Amino acid sequence: MADTLIERPGDLAATTLTRRRLLINAGVLAGGAMLAGPLAACGSTTATNTGGNPKRGGNFRLGVTGGGSGDIIDGQKIVNKPDQARLVAGFETLLEYDTHYKLQTTGLAESVTQDAPDKWTIKLKSGITFHNGKPLTSDDVIYSLQRITDPKQGLFGTAGLNSVDPNNITKVDNLTVRLNLKQADSTIGDQLGQYYNGIVPVGYTRAGEQIGTGAYKVQSFTKGQQSVHVKNTNYWRSGLPYFDMVTIIDFPDVAAQVNALLSGQIDAMTDVPAAQITVVTGHSNLAILEGQGADWRPLCMAIDMPPFDDVKVRQAFRLMVDRNAMLQQVFSGHGRIANDLYSPFDPAYDSSLPQRHQDIAQAKSLLHSAGKDNLVVDLHTTDGAAGMVDSANIFAHQASAAGVTVNVHNDPNYYGDAYLKLAFSVDFWGTRNYLPQVANGSIPTAPYNECHWPPKDSNYISLYQQALKEVDASKRADIIHQMQKLEYDQGGYIIPMFNNLVDAYNTKVGGFNNGSKATLNLDSFGHGYRSIYFTS
Amino acid sequence: MLDRQGPTGGPARTGGIRLFILRRILQGVLVLVLVSIVVFAATQALPGDPARAILGRGATPASLAALREQLHLNQPKVIQYLTWATGLLHGDAGRSFAAQEPVSTYLSNRIVNTGFLLVLSGLISIPLSILIGAYAALWRDRPFDVITSLATLVFAALPEFVVGVALVLLFATTVFHFLPAITLIPPGGRPWDQPIAIILPTLTLVLAVTPYVVRIMRASMVEVLESDYVEMARLKGLPERIVLRRHALPNALGPTFQVIAINLAYLAGGVIVVEYIFNYAGIGGALRDAVSNRDLPVVQAIAMIIAGLYVFLNLMADIATILVTPRLRTRL
Repeated sequence: MADTLIERPGDLAATTLTRRRLLINAGVLAGGAMLAGPLAACGSTTATNTGGNPKRGGNFRLGVTGGGSGDIIDGQKIVNKPDQARLVAGFETLLEYDTHYKLQTTGLAESVTQDAPDKWTIKLKSGITFHNGKPLTSDDVIYSLQRITDPKQGLFGTAGLNSVDPNNITKVDNLTVRLNLKQADSTIGDQLGQYYNGIVPVGYTRAGEQIGTGAYKVQSFTKGQQSVHVKNTNYWRSGLPYFDMVTIIDFPDVAAQVNALLSGQIDAMTDVPAAQITVVTGHSNLAILEGQGADWRPLCMAIDMPPFDDVKVRQAFRLMVDRNAMLQQVFSGHGRIANDLYSPFDPAYDSSLPQRHQDIAQAKSLLHSAGKDNLVVDLHTTDGAAGMVDSANIFAHQASAAGVTVNVHNDPNYYGDAYLKLAFSVDFWGTRNYLPQVANGSIPTAPYNECHWPPKDSNYISLYQQALKEVDASKRADIIHQMQKLEYDQGGYIIPMFNNLVDAYNTKVGGFNNGSKATLNLDSFGHGYRSIYFTS
Repeated sequence: MLDRQGPTGGPARTGGIRLFILRRILQGVLVLVLVSIVVFAATQALPGDPARAILGRGATPASLAALREQLHLNQPKVIQYLTWATGLLHGDAGRSFAAQEPVSTYLSNRIVNTGFLLVLSGLISIPLSILIGAYAALWRDRPFDVITSLATLVFAALPEFVVGVALVLLFATTVFHFLPAITLIPPGGRPWDQPIAIILPTLTLVLAVTPYVVRIMRASMVEVLESDYVEMARLKGLPERIVLRRHALPNALGPTFQVIAINLAYLAGGVIVVEYIFNYAGIGGALRDAVSNRDLPVVQAIAMIIAGLYVFLNLMADIATILVTPRLRTRL
């Protein structure tokens, strides 16, 4: 499944969303240094490419890596990467992340407020209609949230919204919905901004008609080949979108994808391999778009399984990694080194913790004092996402300097069999903020807790409960810092780096943000293809 | 003429051919039954479990068990095989695990696409290679022969993916830019809607097959031209045209048909690589996708299609060989 990108629930994640901030964003309160307004206006490290003036019309042809017979279109789920490209064409979320990974009210909701630790209110913008002309109302939001929280549907959003009580969502009026949670949860806003928590109309099914509120509606779709999407002429954002048509084409082979871009058969492509970047930049009409993704491929040490039940061994292993070398070798330098902590875009991410560097002498002495000289360990990996196998092999090589023998096992049956039961394994994750990520991978109730974190005597879980209840962002950040310190000192993850999203496009297309922190390729596909255009 | 030396007369001869064809068809069916067992066994031996491949990281023991039940993976292998084989006899190849639709629905357009590419390549490469081979033999050691020999040797030595990539570099991306680098077939469209987009894949396949056929045709033609009966025909004073068309060519074609059949059958496999290079939506891409998804019904269906094609082409080659070779024809 090398071509398949499978993300787990809550791929994007939680920013510190307070009532105050959302109201500011919604323009209800004045003041603050907050940016509000359309996504296209956001850009400090980002530079909107200026190919010329927007021209209306045209067929935007996008080549997406991967895809196959398992392709689906669903407003709330993806299987392969082309499914992401198709989802965002037709479906929109209540809140949206901007190019700085800040949550904004540029989506379907006018405001999303936490009234109490376990009560949230969603107020919809008026005048939004679905592709079939039906107006968007509270009923659609309730149906969408009930569909996401139904475990039988197997959707990504289920785990992230598990505090939502599907039977206790109330319709206040035609545009207002109140969520009465099963327990306090400060991350609801983050979840509502995840691209796969799209809002679908009452009665929506995957097998039925694909009706959303997005800029383009599906005209035709052939699994493993391509889909054609036509402009939604009643789109609620006036004047948008620009293209008449968007064609999304699957490419199982990246060489064919690059060739199609070079010969002008497609206008943009996802995931340019490092070796092909110079091929693309060698053409004056093509350009690379590099997004600062926060995808990560951790090496996971189970803290309750030998030899990693000794914290000194975990610390030693974290010191054996040459992060820069690994970034160069696995992603040709297209990424940033990491500090064994996830969620770098979270405003509560503690960047004051010192960057860890390779220190073989210290690693050896830690292993010696733990009585684990000449250690031999098995490292399990699989071809689940780009870099998983390479990271394992390079780690094995680097560890040999500290006298540790790492035997790498590349096992196609890894997921569903040995997964989560291994002492030492490689996994992959998408971008999320800290608390939603914890819910998915770092507490005993999380579906994918590879490291069996936290230790039994730790106060980590009580800190987590406090953070979920804390409505004040700065107080919550203090609690999160304590949690991160615990993981930084004793945790089971080795997180060497975050990789960038490297895409390419023909410069006749304008409106992409370079350096965006959008979590999907091509600046989140030009924000659902509404902020990109052909230039004149 | 040689066929007059045969022991039997006309009616017996045609009956012999009919019987021969019937026998070969029965043999073909037997081969297909054996192939179906091998294909089924081979797909069972694929590393990895389809239920796990479908569920990926979301696999839990409960969901795995439920999915295995749904896909009938818990039944004994013999029952699974018999269910599948009887389904095939009724034209039902099962449901694709990954696409969640009948295999026939999923594959029908792809079979048309691949079939079109194969037929087109065959229609171009067969007459072309017979012609080149025959003339190379006729003009032995003359410039045409030397050049074609060298060229066929080079193309025979190069694998399709090298030829395909070189053609893309030459005509689509780097040197010239007048042909499309990939073949995009829109949903509901057919490959022949945009003839320009199928030039490169067709050319790649033609270049992959032609060299072998040219070389065997040339060799067999050289042998025939040196034979006693051709010399006899010439000595009788027959015009060279008649000598070639009536006496030399039919006898040289016999062995060539066998090679053509093998090469066309090989094309069905080579097309996987070509479809990959040109992002051509055919059964090759579907097979690759199905193997990586452990989509066994699709793998089995495509393997049976390719096996069926082999059997069919070999049958055709045998019949054609018999028909053009008087010696064999009369012996039946």
